Amino acid sequence: MCTRVNRRDDSTNTVVRINLSRCIKEEEIGLALIHVEGLSKQFEYYKKELGLRNSIKNLYHRERLIKDAVCNINFDIEEGEFVGFLGPNGAGKTTTLKMLSGILYPTAGKAEVMGYVPWERKKEFKKQFSIVMGQKNQLWWDLPAHDSFYLNKCIYELEDKAYQETLDELVDLLDVKDLLGVQVRRLSLGERMKMELIAALIHRPKVILLDEPTIGLDIISQKKIREFLKIYNKEKKATILLTSHYMNDIEDLCRRVVIINQGKLAYDGDLSHVNDLFSQSKIVKLNFEEVVAEKALTKFGTMKSYEGLSVTLEMDKQNLKEKLKQILEVLPIVDFTIEDIPVEEGIAYLYQKKEGMPDEEAK
Amino acid sequence: MREIKRYLKIYKLFIKNCLMAQMEYRINFITGVIVESGYLLAKALYAIVVYSTGVSIGGLSSDAILLFIGTYTMMTGIYMGLFYVNFQKIPEYVRDGSLDLYITKPISTQFMVTMRYFDFGMPIPSIIGGLTMIVIGWRRLNIGITPLHIIGFIGFMLTGILLTYSIFLLPQILSFWTVKTSGVNDISNALWDFNNMPKGIYSKRVQQFGTFVIPIFLISNCSPLVILDKLSIGESVWAISATILFFILSRFLFYKAMRNYSSASS
Repeated sequence: MCTRVNRRDDSTNTVVRINLSRCIKEEEIGLALIHVEGLSKQFEYYKKELGLRNSIKNLYHRERLIKDAVCNINFDIEEGEFVGFLGPNGAGKTTTLKMLSGILYPTAGKAEVMGYVPWERKKEFKKQFSIVMGQKNQLWWDLPAHDSFYLNKCIYELEDKAYQETLDELVDLLDVKDLLGVQVRRLSLGERMKMELIAALIHRPKVILLDEPTIGLDIISQKKIREFLKIYNKEKKATILLTSHYMNDIEDLCRRVVIINQGKLAYDGDLSHVNDLFSQSKIVKLNFEEVVAEKALTKFGTMKSYEGLSVTLEMDKQNLKEKLKQILEVLPIVDFTIEDIPVEEGIAYLYQKKEGMPDEEAK
Repeated sequence: MREIKRYLKIYKLFIKNCLMAQMEYRINFITGVIVESGYLLAKALYAIVVYSTGVSIGGLSSDAILLFIGTYTMMTGIYMGLFYVNFQKIPEYVRDGSLDLYITKPISTQFMVTMRYFDFGMPIPSIIGGLTMIVIGWRRLNIGITPLHIIGFIGFMLTGILLTYSIFLLPQILSFWTVKTSGVNDISNALWDFNNMPKGIYSKRVQQFGTFVIPIFLISNCSPLVILDKLSIGESVWAISATILFFILSRFLFYKAMRNYSSASS
């Protein structure tokens, strides 16, 4: 088990590393259940230009290229945390999850999950974690999901009583009792994902890695799966790392997010603080008694929307108070609200950055 | 011992699941049996031609040859039912990344990948047909059914099955590096057909290659040779040793392949 643990300081948004050997009380700080240090993964590939001629050329000469899928990332996740793992397509999220689940060997770096090195693929480790990939399934296509659950019972060596209890509980939570006897191929995508979740959780894993579990699902199914994950995390104290392209999933479930871009760590901290990194603005929504000319408003900030009686401005944080005072004095205000810039915009900004920020800055 | 019991239980479930899944598609199941019966008929014709001409190969009478063809036919059924269906899927698992979830299960990935499926339709005609040929050949040869013959025959069938698993898994393991293996597959399928006839039909060089380099002749030649009392102790020892060696080799290469696995993009 690693001797270092992390404590997150929300006020400064930093990670404080503490050495356990220096007599720090363990109960004050959670143990890092997932510890990632300098983790990197390179893939070898080759390019093929367009056309038959280049295909023939490729038969005898291939220029080998290296892609840095994941580049020296560090983070720690404590027991019971529900962390969002975000990044644009090809950022290295799935590769990281695959290293944490032992599917892939890293090129460099260290990782420990529950004290195990994942890629050593120890049986005891495998019995305590689970990975769910939205685009891959483990259920037997032509059989009812129940048969696949029973197979997992035998693979995970579960006692009859524990298996039945977990199954009943999960079936109840996901409301799929009537579907247990239906062949998997006849289920809808949403129903199938629920069954996949049951198959993945039947052994009550302590660590769950979820790779886009709601991909392709309709809004209602997404919501149901979100609700289920929330309850599961709360009741079982399971540690969950979730990747999703749906902001609703992340906002609803994760207080903390780790963002990677081009294989590098871009942010690690509270979801609500994403914008603090770079944004010096606030969104101010104003409602007027009478129509105010656009020109009279632009001196206070950048116009985001103008609809005569209601206007949205992006204003500088630094002199917000003074400017609002002026607005209240000069303009026929009925009502106003001050909001943070939507978190999606902050995340999109981090996605678009050409280079991931250095780790220190990210923290 | 506990682990063996656990694996047997899981294997039983694999077989049960496959049977249930195959019963879902009745027409496919029946068509499979019919197609395989056709193949068997072609093989039987081949045996009949050999038989009716009364040809003898390397001192083997046509009845003895029938014993070899029968063993080969039966072994083909076993190979098709137990392994072929699994082995063919390995390059697919590598290419589309479906191996990912198998790796995360607390069970040997090699077992999961190579034993997960069991085909019922394909082997039935071959096993029945092969067994019939063996019985006919054995009876016509007027060789007594002694416990030693039975144990020897079944024992070398078992080493043959394990050797089949080990040798014919090797080309599929290549897919971890090359992704597609259809070229090598064609070669290995052609190698399998070499056992269609007793090894005595081939030249000495081919016999040595097929016994010591890629020991395919040890798969279905040893069992009939035991019945004919023509298997020397040296050959027996080598057949058992080669089986163990090739099994270790397949385990080792599978382990290496798993380290090299780069998964597929999700």
